[in-house]
Amino acid sequence: MKPKSDLPQGTLDLLILKVVALGPIHGYAVAQRLEQVSRGVVQVPQGSLYPALHRLENRGLLKADWKLTETGREAKFYRVTRKGQTQLETEAAGWQRLTQAVSLILKMSEGGAG
Amino acid sequence: MTWWHRLLHRRQHEEQLEKELRHHLDLHTSELIAQGYSPEEARRRANLALGGPEQVKEMCRDARGTRWLEELLQDLRIGARTLRKNPGFTLVVAATLALGIGANTAIFGLVDALLLRPLPIAEAPNELVLLVRGDGRGSALSYPDFKDLRERNEVLSDLALFNQAPISFGNNVRSEVVLGGMVSGNYFDVLGIKPALGRTFLPEEDRTPGTHPVVVLNHSFWQSRFNSDRTLVGQTIVLNNRRFTVIGITPAGFDGESPPMKVSLWIPVMMTSTMRWEPGEARQDPLSNRQNENFGAIGRLKHGVSIVQAQAAIETINRQLEEANPLPPERRLNPDDDRSLRLLHPRGIMMGPIREMAATSSRLAGATVLTVLLIACANVANLLMARAATRRKEVAVRLALGATRGRLIRQLLTESVLLALAGATAGLFLAYWINQLLMAFKPPFPPPFTFALDLSFDTRTFAFTFLLAVATGVIFGLAPALQASRPDVLPALKDESNAEGPRVRRLNWRSALVITQVALSLALLISTGLFLRTMRYAQQVDLGFKPDQVLQVSFNLRLQGYNEAQGREFYQRIGERLERLPGVQTASVTNLLPLGFIWLSTPVVPEDREVAPNDRVFAGNVSVGSQYFETIGTPLLRGRSFTAQDTSKSPQVAIVTEKLARRLWPEIKDPGEALGKRVRVGRADSISCEVIGVAKDSRNNIFNRIDMDPEPTIYRPFAQNYSALASLIIRTDGDPRGLISAVRREVAALDENLPPQNLQPLSETVSLASWSARTGAAVLGVFGLLGLLLAAIGIYGVMSYSVSRRTREIGLRMALGAETRDVIKLIVKQGMGLTLIGAVIGVLLAVAVTRLLASLLYGVTATDPATFAGVVLFVISVAVVACYLPARRATKVDPMRALRCE
Repeated sequence: MKPKSDLPQGTLDLLILKVVALGPIHGYAVAQRLEQVSRGVVQVPQGSLYPALHRLENRGLLKADWKLTETGREAKFYRVTRKGQTQLETEAAGWQRLTQAVSLILKMSEGGAG
Repeated sequence: MTWWHRLLHRRQHEEQLEKELRHHLDLHTSELIAQGYSPEEARRRANLALGGPEQVKEMCRDARGTRWLEELLQDLRIGARTLRKNPGFTLVVAATLALGIGANTAIFGLVDALLLRPLPIAEAPNELVLLVRGDGRGSALSYPDFKDLRERNEVLSDLALFNQAPISFGNNVRSEVVLGGMVSGNYFDVLGIKPALGRTFLPEEDRTPGTHPVVVLNHSFWQSRFNSDRTLVGQTIVLNNRRFTVIGITPAGFDGESPPMKVSLWIPVMMTSTMRWEPGEARQDPLSNRQNENFGAIGRLKHGVSIVQAQAAIETINRQLEEANPLPPERRLNPDDDRSLRLLHPRGIMMGPIREMAATSSRLAGATVLTVLLIACANVANLLMARAATRRKEVAVRLALGATRGRLIRQLLTESVLLALAGATAGLFLAYWINQLLMAFKPPFPPPFTFALDLSFDTRTFAFTFLLAVATGVIFGLAPALQASRPDVLPALKDESNAEGPRVRRLNWRSALVITQVALSLALLISTGLFLRTMRYAQQVDLGFKPDQVLQVSFNLRLQGYNEAQGREFYQRIGERLERLPGVQTASVTNLLPLGFIWLSTPVVPEDREVAPNDRVFAGNVSVGSQYFETIGTPLLRGRSFTAQDTSKSPQVAIVTEKLARRLWPEIKDPGEALGKRVRVGRADSISCEVIGVAKDSRNNIFNRIDMDPEPTIYRPFAQNYSALASLIIRTDGDPRGLISAVRREVAALDENLPPQNLQPLSETVSLASWSARTGAAVLGVFGLLGLLLAAIGIYGVMSYSVSRRTREIGLRMALGAETRDVIKLIVKQGMGLTLIGAVIGVLLAVAVTRLLASLLYGVTATDPATFAGVVLFVISVAVVACYLPARRATKVDPMRALRCE
């Protein structure tokens, strides 16, 4: 078994948006891409991937079309809407600010101990 | 995509979801196979990784946000299926609810028409405002006030003036008096009424008094009197014996700004002075007199101006006008009179006193039907609880399978709301029928005051019924749903159907419902009883005259332009002609009809003593012909009647009622002592007459009020006290209706353009006086009995249920030697306990409620002991029957079978 890392609350949506923003993609590929890119650190529970996709679609951040894959099968391809793009940008910026702040705090406490 | 869109494409979505997940699993499986797993193992792992397709699907459905709707649909399907499977139960419940909801829909239709509905005007009816002075009981404005307000205000786009009066419409043998509107030239423009034919008034037709005899006709009047003749526009018709040119016809459905009064035609207010409503000497120009506050006004708010802002602005101008033109003190009845002007949106009936009456009756009727609905709800709740007992197993299974309690309650409530909607649908038909019935009870005002009330259903009625049904479903369904969904899974599954705990509590719920029902129906029936007593009183009270077999007919000769000499001659000749008709015993002229709507009074001063001006006695001022007392059936107690010798030239004479005699001369022992005494009557005590007779007191009272004691009255000969407005009363051998057409012919023979008014039996005027009591008794009576019937069914149901639960106990008792009588006593005692508690509460409730009815009752107090006792006894006997039937069935139980069962 691969080592697992729990996703912080609310980050799944952000990650999915980011992955989908790279180009139309179907559900299984999203899961694979997330796993590959995070080098196996982030493992999305597949059970919560689809509800998340549907939720984002429902909120109008994603849009889906049925297209043929390279193997000739019909699959549901998601893409990011303009609204989704904006949402991704604000959330990504927010995330970045947060991680910077968190790492600053962590460094500071190291310094304090030393 | 909206939620309903998604809902509509639900099946498609389900298929796509399925496809998407299969695609995922296939891809994952093939990847695992590529990694070296066997196909079965690969499929298993893929499934495992996804976490079970069904759960994922559920979560996706949740994510889609239409879950509540899908569940609702599911609930509706389950509900409909359950109801279809129990047609008997469904029918009983729906019928019960149809009664309750139908009654409420009917009354809502009435309240809507009376109090809520805006004028039937297409153009922004919400911008229309009526000007009301003070409490809104009287008229609002004088013509000069109107002109000032119209010119000075900056909040209304325009203001129109209106007033109504009877107008005699000359039409050969079909002459009649109709209600006419006198309106300012901009009236139709302010209301936004475009004529269906012709045109409305031009500005110059409303500028100079008496110069433009033009008339706009009501569409329905044009239809019924002129057979929708399109060539009528441009022709003339005769109004108050004057020719008017018809210039236009209003669109259908518009009856004026003052429903329920139906205005038949409109003339410019500038024609008022030529219409002869005032006697000749008093006929001054009503358009220049600021004290003549006989007009109403309706305006249209400017865009963006609220009614509150407009009212403040109008009131400011009003105060300036009041200061500039103070009312002379003698015109001011009460210095504290509220002289402020208010703005109201026209909704339903706006005439102050009638609106108040309508509001009172509406509250009463509303409370009544709501009570009936509550009783019906209690009954249905009872039935549902009984059924919940039989459904415990079904519920337990669903709980065990993981349904949440909330979900289960929601499903049970959906079912009861479905039931209520089914009931409401049937209720709509019932309401339609009830409304037809109610229209038969509309007050029989004599023409021209046609009472036009539109009780047809509109969207508001449907919306009300729908909301009421949903609320009803929740109200009667909540308790049973809470009860049924209580998670006592184990005993229910083990079929311990008579587990002690829940049963006792369920019975308590049901007992409370029975008590409520008994109390509510008792209160209703007591109210009914009081109205019935009032009605009986109205029928039995000694009126002092005998209305049966008397026909009445009234005339307004002033409208027709008769002078006094012509008028005297007319009344003389029509009296002679009518007396000669076959079937007529006697006929007489009189200026006032008993229990009519007009009443005149005069101060009467005895000449043999000094009376301070404030102590003067006011008496009804009735002038009558020589045969009056025989015709009306009022006995003369002392002295003589008037004769043909009492003319305008002979000495002035009078007949007083016994009450007046005793007021004027308190010391007399016998009314005969009043004979020969002299009194002065009239405004300035100007006329001196000798008392020649004393008549029995008669309830010929003011404004159709049968409940007031007889007014003191003085009768004088018609020849000595002429009135242009007068009636003839005719005593006939049989049914007075048979003479109506003959009377019409005799009148037309003298003047074919003179409309006979009030041509109907005198008994109808009398019956109008007890109209409110009769209507109250009928409406409350029907609903009260309905309530009692429902309550009886409720008691019966609870007792039957209790008996069926106690079969084993009863069997045991009988096996141990209990007599039939003992068993019946046992059961009846239980039911009577509930009934008595309900009766006590009901009596207390009735005491509180009937006090509100007091203004509608007479001849009986609001806490009449006989009525209370009678109704309580009646309700208890009904309850005894409802208990006895199940009790008797209990005694038919075969002890052996009872012991073996369960």
